[in-house]
Amino acid sequence: MAEENITFTLPDLGEGLVEATVLEWQVAVGDTIGRNDPLVEVETTKSAVVIPSPKAGRVVELHAREEDVVPVGEPLVTFAVEVEESAPQAGIVGRVPEEEAKPKRRVRLKPPTD
Amino acid sequence: MPPQESKGQGAITVEHLPPELTRRLYRDMRTARDLDTEAIALQRQGVFPAYVSVRGQEAAQVGSATALDPARDFVFPTYREMASALAYGVEMVGYMATHRALWHGGLYDVMDSRFGAINAVVGGPVPHAVGWALGERLRGDDGVAMAYFGDGASSEGDVHEAMNFAGVLAAPVIFFCQNNQWALSVPNERQVAGGSVAARAEGYGMPGVLVDGNDAGAVHTATAEAVERARNGGGPTVIEALTYRIEPHSTSDDPGRYRDEADTEHWRRRDPVVLLRAAMLEAGHADEEHFAAVDAEAARRAEQVRDGVADAPEPDGSELFTHVFRETTEELTRQHRTWQEEVEL
Amino acid sequence: MTELIERADTTVESAVVELSMQQAINRALRVLLTEDPDVLVFGEDVGALGGVFRVTDGLQKEFGDQRVFDTPLAESAIMGMAVGLAMNGWRPVPELQFDGFAYPAVDQIVNQVARMNYRTRGAAPMPITLRLPSFGGIQAPEHHGESLEALFAHTPGLKVVAPSDPAEAYSLLLQSVRSDDPVVYMEPKARYWDRRPVRLSEPTDPIGTSRIVRPGRHATLVAWGAMVHRCVQVAELAAEDGVELEVLDLRWLKPIDAAGLAASVARTKRAVVVHEAPLTAGLGAEVAALITENCFRELAAPVQRVTGFDVPYPAGPLEPQYLPTIDRVLLAVQRTLEY
Repeated sequence: MAEENITFTLPDLGEGLVEATVLEWQVAVGDTIGRNDPLVEVETTKSAVVIPSPKAGRVVELHAREEDVVPVGEPLVTFAVEVEESAPQAGIVGRVPEEEAKPKRRVRLKPPTD
Repeated sequence: MPPQESKGQGAITVEHLPPELTRRLYRDMRTARDLDTEAIALQRQGVFPAYVSVRGQEAAQVGSATALDPARDFVFPTYREMASALAYGVEMVGYMATHRALWHGGLYDVMDSRFGAINAVVGGPVPHAVGWALGERLRGDDGVAMAYFGDGASSEGDVHEAMNFAGVLAAPVIFFCQNNQWALSVPNERQVAGGSVAARAEGYGMPGVLVDGNDAGAVHTATAEAVERARNGGGPTVIEALTYRIEPHSTSDDPGRYRDEADTEHWRRRDPVVLLRAAMLEAGHADEEHFAAVDAEAARRAEQVRDGVADAPEPDGSELFTHVFRETTEELTRQHRTWQEEVEL
Repeated sequence: MTELIERADTTVESAVVELSMQQAINRALRVLLTEDPDVLVFGEDVGALGGVFRVTDGLQKEFGDQRVFDTPLAESAIMGMAVGLAMNGWRPVPELQFDGFAYPAVDQIVNQVARMNYRTRGAAPMPITLRLPSFGGIQAPEHHGESLEALFAHTPGLKVVAPSDPAEAYSLLLQSVRSDDPVVYMEPKARYWDRRPVRLSEPTDPIGTSRIVRPGRHATLVAWGAMVHRCVQVAELAAEDGVELEVLDLRWLKPIDAAGLAASVARTKRAVVVHEAPLTAGLGAEVAALITENCFRELAAPVQRVTGFDVPYPAGPLEPQYLPTIDRVLLAVQRTLEY
């Protein structure tokens, strides 16, 4: 069994929420926790919720302090998890499309000559 | 008149029921509970954009769905019938796909399952059940339609229109109201004039039954009686299963704004899974060893569905255009090319 | 900024405050409930909950449960009741919770609200403003993201408006509710959380006027609701290529500002209309017709439409592909430039 670091970003906790405030960490760096164990309590404009751990593993890093406001899609916590070499990567991704400071584009324009 | 409200304070009994039935009810309720817990976690982990919990309503859903025959009946659900779907035999990864927003109606085969697409229009599917039931009667078949709806939907015109049609046409349909006492933030007393959905049956000329929605055996028995009546040409029935929405309306909801969570304590203590388990032990239908094995199997199955839905591929964008018509149009084909043009940029 | 926000809570007009669109609409409702004792706010979950988007947050507490109240879950009855209240001298501001759930109420809206004034030869006006959280962009469940503007704009007797930012939402709601005609006020859900410093002000432009959000000389982008923001993004990107796009926020979808459209396109000679709703028989066709009628000789290219496809609003991950993307708008701009 190999070990691999996986970073969990703040998901969209409502329909279209953009950020949440970290109220209380329920784990500390070094803790070994199970999947769905209480991870962190956060508050959004809609409600306060406890996020259950998406992984079983060892907590390697907490990316926000209590009372910090974390935008959706920003790193929340990094786990070291044991992985079987062939295990499929569970895709945990943020839901709100980020409001990019610089929106992506592929089409370039040519100004008119008139 | 419907029987007096049976809030069923305290315990339930299953001594009058066959042990194989109560074991099946327990297995499905336990599995639904575990899957519900996994689903709430998936929402918090960002896999589901939102989820609507069935916690506390497992007895009402499993008790009623198990009284149907998935080979000849047809269920018309709302968006909160996960435990019914599971008990009825719907392919659950496909069912849960709706909550991952992979496809609005779910990805299970509606016609093979004989379980309608997940429908967010409250009250909207209830007239469909009447139409399906009439179709059975016209053809001389003996299938029964089950329309699930909630106390909130009972206010919609469609539900009243459907009940009147069913009464007039003597359609083999069951109007099954899960009264979980909250339509999002609005409580029963400000939703249901007169206080009883079952009482409305009298006005539409059909039997109305009020049942303790947290007593799986009682729900099953009441539904089985209504199914029997409908199958034998006795027409429609309204069943009101009184239960409680333990969780918020959805994972995006904040019930602290409109209800006192202390008031939910009574209903949390009347957990239908716990009640059934105690009654089965009391009746000698199962022992601790049996429950340990069933609980482990339920957890395993819930995890299997969880992983299945979490790992399911996202639909390809071209599916935007695939199911709009049976026979597509030139214009839609042109729009499909426009979409493709951007994909290939 | 905190100080300003606190000051704004006492409804200081013209102060610059930082507000989201949902807060701006809430502010406007407070002004309306305060200034006119006939204004009533009702709908599903608008009371204790404060609405599913918190737009009516705190209103029941402040104005009481006789003026801000929850109804049972029945959209047709909500709109039908609004008709009766209006006939009894009240000024109803009903909310239908999501656009997709306006469909059960379409009979009351189209057959009753829209034509009661006409039917009664002006004896029974319908000063009703239907607040309707509208359009997509939040990857919501089915029926929770729809674009009904063409249906309502096509209905004789209704006025239709879709604000695009918090300041606009504030003044356009004041204007809608004070109007003696029925207005469908479409709130773009995707912009509810758009928070920015805004100057709250009384409406100054008459009903049915558009506004130029960003001036430009090479082509006009016409949009409303959340697509205004999309067009501003496109205009910023186009500027990198030396193309100056004008962004015209139509605001009023009925009456449509034909003169405003003509004035802009007469200068830019090219137009692209962008909406979320499906293409066929969408409002883009109306905009294109008006531009063609009024600017035929000035046009350097046919009016382009960039819209949703002729398919139902899809689930989650497919929605961003359904909505007009930056590249689809840019491609259409390029087509007008090269024509």
